[in-house]
Amino acid sequence: MNKSRLALAALLLALAARPAAAKLRVVATIPDLADVSRRVGGGLVSVDCLARGPEDIHQVVMRPSFVSKLNRADAVVYLGLSVEHSFLPGLLDAAANPRMREDPAVLGCAGPGCIDCSAGVRVLQKPDSLSRAEGELHPQGNPHYNLDPEDGLLIARNIAAGFSRLDPAHAADYERNLAAFLDELKTRIAEWKKAVAPLQGLKAVSYHKDVAYLGRFTGLDFIDTIELKPGVAPTPTHLARLVREMQDQGVKLIVREQQYESRTTAWLAGRTGAKVAVIGTMADALPGTETYVKFCARNIQALLDAAR
Amino acid sequence: MRLISLASPCLLLAAAAAQSPAALSEDRLQSLEERLTKLEGAPAKTSLSAFNPALGLALDFVLRDRDGKANFLFRSAEVNLEAPVDPFLKGWAIVNGSADGVEVEEAALETTALPGNLTVTGGRLFADFGRFPHFHDHELPVIDRPRSIDSFVGGESRADGVELSYLFPTEAYLRAVLGAYDKLGSENDRVDIAEGRPFDEFTYLGRLSAYQDIGADHSVELGASCAWTPKRGVVEDAAVTGNAFAESTRKNTWRTLGGLDLTYRYQPAAGGLYRGAVWGTEVLANNERRFGPTTRLPTDRVRAFSGYSYLWLKLGRRWRPGALADLAEDLDAARAITRTYTAFLTCDVTEFQRLRLAYSRETGNAGRPEADIVGLQWTGILGHHVHGFRDR
Repeated sequence: MNKSRLALAALLLALAARPAAAKLRVVATIPDLADVSRRVGGGLVSVDCLARGPEDIHQVVMRPSFVSKLNRADAVVYLGLSVEHSFLPGLLDAAANPRMREDPAVLGCAGPGCIDCSAGVRVLQKPDSLSRAEGELHPQGNPHYNLDPEDGLLIARNIAAGFSRLDPAHAADYERNLAAFLDELKTRIAEWKKAVAPLQGLKAVSYHKDVAYLGRFTGLDFIDTIELKPGVAPTPTHLARLVREMQDQGVKLIVREQQYESRTTAWLAGRTGAKVAVIGTMADALPGTETYVKFCARNIQALLDAAR
Repeated sequence: MRLISLASPCLLLAAAAAQSPAALSEDRLQSLEERLTKLEGAPAKTSLSAFNPALGLALDFVLRDRDGKANFLFRSAEVNLEAPVDPFLKGWAIVNGSADGVEVEEAALETTALPGNLTVTGGRLFADFGRFPHFHDHELPVIDRPRSIDSFVGGESRADGVELSYLFPTEAYLRAVLGAYDKLGSENDRVDIAEGRPFDEFTYLGRLSAYQDIGADHSVELGASCAWTPKRGVVEDAAVTGNAFAESTRKNTWRTLGGLDLTYRYQPAAGGLYRGAVWGTEVLANNERRFGPTTRLPTDRVRAFSGYSYLWLKLGRRWRPGALADLAEDLDAARAITRTYTAFLTCDVTEFQRLRLAYSRETGNAGRPEADIVGLQWTGILGHHVHGFRDR
């Protein structure tokens, strides 16, 4: 009898101790956010990632395995500004997790488990009017703010605030991890700012209209895109006009996001004499960029190499 | 009193003038910050229609030539409305206008906050049977719905009823669905749903679907469905048979429609915009007692099979060629088979506009003449038109 009571007490203790030891289950939509979540959460979180680095964030395919991950998650960390519109709302709808529901109003997430990293971002390129005649517009503005390392600071702060809200017992741990990450990123930002000085005012074109924040950080002046409109593949007429425009304005740099085909970019470079810089739009898009810091560093180095 | 009211602004101005420039700047800054906060926090759209449902429209036109006889076909103008009803429920409706008229394809409510991974959907919906059966026509990879699905399910899996789905809380994706409906299939004419009838003449569905990633780039999805109708009441057409009394048949009229579906996907991370492949196969088995089409007298119980298999390749940002083979036995004569072989080429002009060219060769021993069918489909999407995770 005594043994049974002891066993029962041990079981109850074990059950009581479990929540304290349980990790916060986090699903991040893209590798950048997964990396920063791991840095901020440390050993207190387990992080799964949905999109793979080389994928196009606009075209991530909804896999049922994502549904299972979201169903059991405590938090979903996302870039927001409707950039995950092709997969996150549908997955949240199927995941049936009361902590995070599809929010059709903003094509995003609603509920206590939602951590929107765009909170506080100074959004660029908010459209004056919304029409599909202007291509695949993001109604809330350009969502690719993760390309600006300074917005990485904001991303980390938003993640830390979200973790602390969901797991207040470890708020101090998250703050400590956040401070360490911010210190590292700030140091690198200071170095990068010096390094990108030669890019200031340099005219460039990109494949897709996703480099506004990168332009803000580096000083590059992106005058046009290879795509006819956001999400609309280039036409021969548009390319002919783009060649003239690049020649007229002396554009010597083409930025190709790695997920877009290289043939048109190479053709354009051949016609204009411009150099091509291949960048990633998410961490882990290119080899050796599995962390957010490495991703930013790789992009900046690619721009500097091409502009040299 | 009037003097006091006139004096007040003067006093305020005097007080403001007495403030230091630094304090004034601080006040202005604070005021500006408050205004900015209000502006940034303001919703993008404030009007009486702000809570109206999201609205979309899919337009689908086909030019079809069958053995030298062609027609322009207005296939559908599909309007969809969708919005949350309250924190616990969402609703949607899909109304389809076509050359045949206007009909409500879906009008359903779905819970969004049930505990235990449960979701209840009710109303007019596309029942969760198989894979292609619950795809709207313009979402199919081919122009025409495969005959195997069209004849066995009766068009799309449209049904009036209720579904309960359960997502297993496991690492691997596993989902079960139970359903009860008036009938299954938009063109299923076995029963008239306008008339009431016993519950044993309803159709009941069970479905289990599972999914497995195979490495980073490959995945397989499996599903098994069974729709069971315990009884069917059929009354002889005495006007045709000439009998004095119309015979009613309910005995041994149960029907089962079973289905297995398998989907393999290749989705490489690198070049995902430009490369990929889908291989899908679905097999159906129908077992039911048949009735004479004119006499409505019982004939034999027939077990018939049908199925299709297709391969769809993504070879660029725009181009997606594919091929589909379809075999369908006749529901009344299992050995009478219609075979359809289709080659198709899809051009995604943009994400919202699509052109598709298809050639089909129809052969078989089911008494149908052989036919060559060429179709050109033009589809455009306006506004918010999404059929969701299930129809991906």
